[in-house]
Amino acid sequence: MEKLTVKICSGTSCFVMGAAQIQALEFTPPEDIADKIEIIEVRCMNHCKDIDATHRRGPFVMVGDELVSEATYEKVVNKIREVLNKDCK
Amino acid sequence: MSDSLFIEIGTHQQQKHGEDCFGDTIYSKKIPEERRIISILSDGLGSGVKANILSSMTTRMAMKFVESNMELLRSSEVMMDALPICQVRKISYATFSIVDSELEGKTRIFEMDNPPHIFIRDGRPLNVKCKELSSPKWKDRTINISQITTQEEDRIILMSDGVTQAGLGNKLYPLGWQRQGCLDFVLKTIKKNPHISAHDLAKAIVHEAIEKEVEKKAGDDISCVVLYFRKPRKLLVLTGPPFDEDKDKEIAELVSYYDGKTAICGGTTANIIERELCLKCEIDKTSFDEKIPMSSIMEGIDLVTEGILTLTEVYRMLKEGIDKDKNNAAVRLTRLLLDSDKIDFVVGTKINIAHQDPNLPMELEIRRNIVKKIFRLLQSQYLKEISVRYV
Repeated sequence: MEKLTVKICSGTSCFVMGAAQIQALEFTPPEDIADKIEIIEVRCMNHCKDIDATHRRGPFVMVGDELVSEATYEKVVNKIREVLNKDCK
Repeated sequence: MSDSLFIEIGTHQQQKHGEDCFGDTIYSKKIPEERRIISILSDGLGSGVKANILSSMTTRMAMKFVESNMELLRSSEVMMDALPICQVRKISYATFSIVDSELEGKTRIFEMDNPPHIFIRDGRPLNVKCKELSSPKWKDRTINISQITTQEEDRIILMSDGVTQAGLGNKLYPLGWQRQGCLDFVLKTIKKNPHISAHDLAKAIVHEAIEKEVEKKAGDDISCVVLYFRKPRKLLVLTGPPFDEDKDKEIAELVSYYDGKTAICGGTTANIIERELCLKCEIDKTSFDEKIPMSSIMEGIDLVTEGILTLTEVYRMLKEGIDKDKNNAAVRLTRLLLDSDKIDFVVGTKINIAHQDPNLPMELEIRRNIVKKIFRLLQSQYLKEISVRYV
């Protein structure tokens, strides 16, 4: 099965808002999803510069095609599980 | 200054174990109009605050005298007269070693009571002819004056007696490490790494001296200055997107035609270069750090980092010293800056909207400001040649 790509923004504002903690996924991912995901750190995806969408804040993480804003470690892990489950069905 | 020769000055110091303050003082100055560099190392009598005052006074006075080409003997007399008299030893005293170097090649070395300098040419020690002078007023003090025309790849090493006497009390070094021990170490180090920077060599010498000490505790102030005469190493630091997008292409071309190393600091800036030059860019996971975003690898570029956080950390390390046990993007950039002589900054002035969010930490400075702080420090403290262009 193809792995689910998880893109973590490591641009400045995402980084200071907590993306660094999400990067832990790379080194210590929860066992159930460990071999199903591929973590890619990316540079700014420009979501933060979208001033019309002020309700959205970093850190931004793309789980497959889905954007997670104000991402935290838990929020991303939950999203990964949700997407993986959806794919199974 | 000319492209032909550059003098890199590297220094490293360790204070005597238990003291807060350095008893030795190192002071270097560049006089661009005269294409001249003066570097002074002074060791104050005793250690701690008193020694620090004596050696600081000596370096400051000596700098003024040498700078204004005052006659040396007279200058030394004035210095010795001016120093406060030690309550314990009833003498006023601080040693000095002065290197006065013109970029055209003429270099003079004045020494009083410090261990004799080491001059390295073609990987071998060179004994520079010296003349002795003594003042009628202070008969027991002699000053050695050496003069030589320097060439590319020459090195001059100045040290305080803390280096040569390192290891006293250690059974393995009954007479201390001595100048010969230090010289052997220098030759070995240069043989292993012929282009070692002045900065790294000075650090290596001081560390090696500490290794010799009993319990690795410095028994005296240990200081070392290395002057390295060489072709300038150039570095281009590109940070920030240009204010006007039409300039993107021009900036990218600057990177591809630059005759030296290149560093890009900033995600958006990296994206521009990646797009304009059709290069591939990948995050370098070996630079992982919790506080600093990882660097990236881009073909033909020596270092690609995030912008403002990395630059802020670089500024901190330039002020407080490099974090030895880390290898994050900021440490790599600081090393790259310190290993370069001529640094050309090209600073894009476009404001990053995302950074203006009031929820972000205060430390997120405006790029122009942090770059200004960095290049001023590189100029004044590290004597680098800097050019800055805003786009």
